[in-house]
Formats: sequence, C-alpha cells, structure tokens
Amino acid sequence: MAKEFELNEVEVWDGNYAASQALRQAQIDVVAAYPITPSTPIVENYGAYIANGYVDGEFVMVESEHGAMSGCVGASAAGGRVATATSSQGFALMTEVLYQASGMRLPIVLTVVNRALASPLNVRGDHSDMYLGRDSGWIQIDAYDAQEAYDLALCAFRIGEHLDVRLPVMMHQDGFTTSHKAQNVYPLKDEVAYKFVGDYVPVNDMLDFSRPVTHGAQTEEDWHYEHKAKQHKALMDSRSVIDEVFADFKALTGREYKRVESYMMEDAEVALVLLGSSVETAVLAAKQLREEEGIKVGIVSPRCFRPFPYDLIRETLDTSSLKVVSCLDKSAPGGAMGALFNEVSAAAYTTQARPMMTNYIYGLGGRDFAVDEAKRIMREQKAHADAGHITTPIQQFSGLRGPKLGFFETRRS
Amino acid sequence: MSTGVLGTDKRGIRELGAEEKVGWDEVSEGVVLNSFEGVAEDIAHKKAEERDYSDFNSYTATVASWRIIKPVYNRDICIDCQNCWVWCPDTSIISRDKQMLGIDYDHCKGCGVCVEVCPTNPKSLLMYSEAADNEEALAGWPQKEKKEKN
Amino acid sequence: MVEIRWHSRAGQGAVTGAKGLGSVVATTGKQVQAYALYGSAKRGAAMNAYNRIDDEPITNQETKMFPDFVFVIDPALAFSDDITKNDKPGTQYIITTHLSKEDLISQIPALQDKADRVYVVDCMQISLDTIGRAMPNTPILGAFMKVSKMYTLDFFLDNMKKVLAKFPQKIIDANMEAITRAYNEVK
Repeated sequence: MAKEFELNEVEVWDGNYAASQALRQAQIDVVAAYPITPSTPIVENYGAYIANGYVDGEFVMVESEHGAMSGCVGASAAGGRVATATSSQGFALMTEVLYQASGMRLPIVLTVVNRALASPLNVRGDHSDMYLGRDSGWIQIDAYDAQEAYDLALCAFRIGEHLDVRLPVMMHQDGFTTSHKAQNVYPLKDEVAYKFVGDYVPVNDMLDFSRPVTHGAQTEEDWHYEHKAKQHKALMDSRSVIDEVFADFKALTGREYKRVESYMMEDAEVALVLLGSSVETAVLAAKQLREEEGIKVGIVSPRCFRPFPYDLIRETLDTSSLKVVSCLDKSAPGGAMGALFNEVSAAAYTTQARPMMTNYIYGLGGRDFAVDEAKRIMREQKAHADAGHITTPIQQFSGLRGPKLGFFETRRS
Repeated sequence: MSTGVLGTDKRGIRELGAEEKVGWDEVSEGVVLNSFEGVAEDIAHKKAEERDYSDFNSYTATVASWRIIKPVYNRDICIDCQNCWVWCPDTSIISRDKQMLGIDYDHCKGCGVCVEVCPTNPKSLLMYSEAADNEEALAGWPQKEKKEKN
Repeated sequence: MVEIRWHSRAGQGAVTGAKGLGSVVATTGKQVQAYALYGSAKRGAAMNAYNRIDDEPITNQETKMFPDFVFVIDPALAFSDDITKNDKPGTQYIITTHLSKEDLISQIPALQDKADRVYVVDCMQISLDTIGRAMPNTPILGAFMKVSKMYTLDFFLDNMKKVLAKFPQKIIDANMEAITRAYNEVK
C-alpha cells in the first residue's frame, strides 16, 4: 500500500511538480518515459515517488519517446492506468504511436509541456508540439498555470477513462512559463484526489485470461473507415463527459473549468482568442485597457483544444457588440493562416455577427508575451472596428524584430 | 462444412474473406477482437474442437481452396516424432496425446513443409494433387528406399 | 504587487531562494510567483530569477518586470550585468559585495544617482562563515527582510525552517545563522 504524502493546504509548486503530484495521487500503474526538457521533472518526480514508496507502480525506462509511448500502449492494453510526459522533439518522435494509442482507444494520459520544435534547437515554450498533435485523435486540454496543471491532470484521467469515452488525453502546459514557474497551488488530500479520479476500470485488458483478445488488429478498406468514424464520434461525444467532469471538479473544489473560457465577452467589441499561459496575461491587459482607455476587450480561449469546441466558440462569439476577433497562434503556421485562426473563423462564420477576423503569430521559441504588446494588438483591433474594415494585413507577427511582416489584405472595392 | 478428422466443429466453418461485413454497431471499440465467445477460462487446456471460437478467430475460416497440392498422411509408417506438428506454419497437423491423427484440411494451405521434415523412410507424409483420392494414394505408397553404397 | 528580480549565477541557488521566499510568503495568505530565465544555461552562467508577491491571484505571465527590488547575489554580476534594467523610481538594490557601499557605487556609474536605494551585504562571506560554502541565496533573504520590513526576523526564521525541513538540522541551523547575520549586517 502506498504511503500518504503530507501536503499543506497551500503549496508553492511549479507546473511540473503540480502535474507530477496529480499523477502520484491518481496512483498510476505504469509510467514508461524518456525524459526531455522542460517536462523532465514530471517523470523524474514520479520515479522518486515510486522509490520512496508513495506509489505502487512501475517506472519503465525506455530508449526513446517512440519506445515510451509504445510501452504506454502495451501497459494500457494490458489493463493498467498509464501516463507519461514529453515535450517538443520527444513529442514529435512519439507521434506515430500517438495515433496507435487513440485508434486502439487506450485512455493514456500524456502530460505535454509545450516547447518549440527544432530547427533551430530551442528548449523554450511555444505551441508547435501541441499543434502537431491536433489530428492525432487525442483529447487535448490546456492548462494556463500550475494550479490548472494539477487540476486538469486529475480531470484528464476521469475524462479519458470514462466508459463512454475511452480515449487518450493530453494535458498541456507551457514550457518554463508554466512548467518552471512556482506559484500558490491548493492541492487536494491524497484520499480526496484519488476518490475523484476513481479506481481504474479496465476494458478488454490483455491480462484478463478468461477473455483472450487481440489488440491492434489490421483493417483495410472493409472496416477501417467505420473504425475511424467511430473514433471521431467518440471524440465529439466526449464533450458532454468533459463538461460533466469539470462540473464534478467544481463541486469538489470550487474551481471552475469550461471547454471554452471567456472573459468580459458580454459587451466586448474586440476579442482576442489564444491558448496557454498567455490567456492570463491577455486577461490582465484587457482589464487594464478597459480601465485606462475604455476599449471593450474580451478574451476567449478553447481550453479544450480537441475536441475543438466549435459549438461553444460560436456561442461565445455570437454577440451583437462584437466587431473584431483576433486569433493569436503560438506556432509557426508553415505557409498557412494559424490553426486557431482557421478553426475559430469557421465557427465565427456561422454567427449572426460575422466579426472581422485577424491572425497574429506570436511567442515562437518562448518570446515573451508582454502586457504592453497585448494592449497594442487590442488597440489595433479597435482601429479595425472603428474603420469598419481590417486596416492591416490579415496575418501579422507580434514581437518580431525587423520589417513589419504581414500577409493578405481585405478585398475592398 | 468441416470435414476434419475430429468430426464436426462446434462452429460452422466458412471461406476466409466470405464473412459478412460488420456493420456500424458491431464494429468493436479500438479494433479489439475477442478470440472466443464468452468467458474462456482455462482455454489453454481445452482441445480445439471443444473451444467456442469467435467469428473473428481465423480458426472459423477455411483456406482449403488455396491448396493446389495436399499432404496425405500414412499412419502405418509414422513414428509419432511430432516433427511435422512442430514445423507446420498453420497449426494444421492434428495430434492428440503425442499421437498423430492427421491433417486439418480446413487450414492446411499445402505448403509441403511437413513432408520436408518427415524423417521416416519412406516418408509418412507425401504431397499429392488436391484432386487425388487419399485411399488410392495410400494404396500406392512408395517402398522403403535402399541407401546406395558406392 | 511587489516584484523582485534576482541576478545570480546558475548554481548559486537563486531559484531555490526565490521559491523559498515564495513558500514563506504563501503561508501568510498572499499569492506568489517564483520563476527563472535559465533554460539550457550552464552552471556559472549569469541568470535571472524572479518573484511576484500580491494579495490577489497573479495572472501576469510576462517574464519581464519593472522590479521593486533587485537582488544581486554574485559580487561580480554587479559590474557585468545590467542590474538597473527596467529601473523605476522606487527600485531598491540589495547587492552582495565585500566593498563598502561608497566604494561599490563609485565603481558602478548606473548606481550613482540611486545611492539612497542601494544596500550592501557580504552574503558570500556570511555563507562561507556559516554554511561553509558560497551559498548567498538564503542570507540575501535576511537582508531583504531588514530592507523591506516585509516580516519580522523571527517570523521569517520560523517559516524558513519549515521550508528547509527536508535538510539535516545542522544545515538548517547554519542557514538561520546566515539569515540573521545578513539581517543585522546589511547597510
């Protein structure tokens, strides 16, 4: 039996430590891991918990991230509660097996500490790896700070393991900005946290010798399509389970999470849509700008990045006051508009308001997202609203040195 | 329809690939396939003909039509060494209590490996045309070959 | 909101110090942030750590700050780092040095119009005398308590003991002595 970990009512934890504590409290059976900056401390701490008797589980050292996720797939198919952590290049190497995990409907929890993808080599935070996973069939939930990294890691198990869902879940936090920033965290007691997560209920586990099963079978055109459609449906249907788990978590802790977080949208004329730790900075900037200059700014964030909350984004943006929406993507779009811009625009297109849509690329490789810069972007959107058309290129870069970079103009006759 | 040496199997057998296409409701979560119907406790100690194989198990599909030539088994010569049983790639040599019973013609593809590895003289397994009559083949079985001394 | 920027070398314990300060502050019901800009820095490389302290939850995730206090815990960094970066009229500087305040300021032009906001304390010598090695991170917090009057020395010592609880008693005692000496010696 695992020992109880003494916790204070308030702890000062960084995002990595917070996530590792949530993993410990969920009493994972197997962690197969290949550590990588900046997510290393998550599995490192987990190894220490096992060594010190705080977890009854196995820590499997593997030769690569491909091996780490493969080990997780095997352990999960065998019937265990399984989790691991990764970032950046490690995430990229895992990608092949991410699709296997979701296609096999294995509720593995992957705590991703978002980091830029090389080249150039960079250890700091942006959303390149998170975006790389967006078609992988995993549920993707985004934490903005250390408290949320703890809370949402606990929720991730409940969501993925729900018998109506049975899908793997990524819990994202920003590299360094969140993973290495200590702040007040209010943890649950071990017993309370475990009760919230619940006992793991295995489904079709290979270690059930009374019902031998084949996992990972091959299907060609005869069955593959139905399987993938069913997987997509499970992902779409998980929305109600996510809402339910968030509601239970609020009842337990008073801390509220939504698939789409929105701030000050009731009367907003201008909205910024963004992900991760920058959401908190943007909310601060919006409050200040409302006070200082009277510009009515709101902030929207798809906390649940996958399944993409098309329904709630549309609902949130469907206000009569809203004129301009700027989507901020923290990943190099590789010759396209940012993913957030594309997906939010698609939802906004079906609103009555049909706001003007602009796109900013920002924060690549950990470039600081400043309150002043957020305000500058907000003022620029207000200028579009006043002019009645987009006065700048539709896609621009924020916080970039050199010439002002922009692409595509609004067509006006 | 099974024609195996063990008599009729518990489940009907069908041509591989001729199974009915699974619809929407039958598609299993995560392509997990059950090998047996229901609880299969102690399955390792049950003989094939006693097992309740599921439709997803290849045991319920026949590949007999793939064969051009087939092995014929001669009980009178066989020494029950189990070599063919070990080597058969399709688990189509039927043996009970270390005694050879014959060929599972539902799953044998006619590769001839069993004949290659048979150590007796003459061989206890020989390949014949798929159309050949087994009784006639046994009646005309070759004699022991004398080793030529130089 | 109180904002603190630490100038340190990787390995001198600035991150641990910032987190330790944060832990003490959090026990009093305040909200804190403790973070650093290091990434792939090697031991000995100049780096910054940061603290934010407020009564309300802190949502500013921007790294840059206009600090209320600057801690320089490596003597050489006072000369080589841009320690007055993002200075504001009330920014106070607590600098580890063996020099007198006058000697130090006379050698650092950027501090010359800020003499009334500069405090010196020899955290290196204090930690060598007490802890036995150059660990300027805890003594600087003693000096900070004196300069900022944030908490009484006794209150801070009591809470810091809890933060250091995982260490052997000898090390805890040495740290308490270092904090006390810095509190008394900062000028």
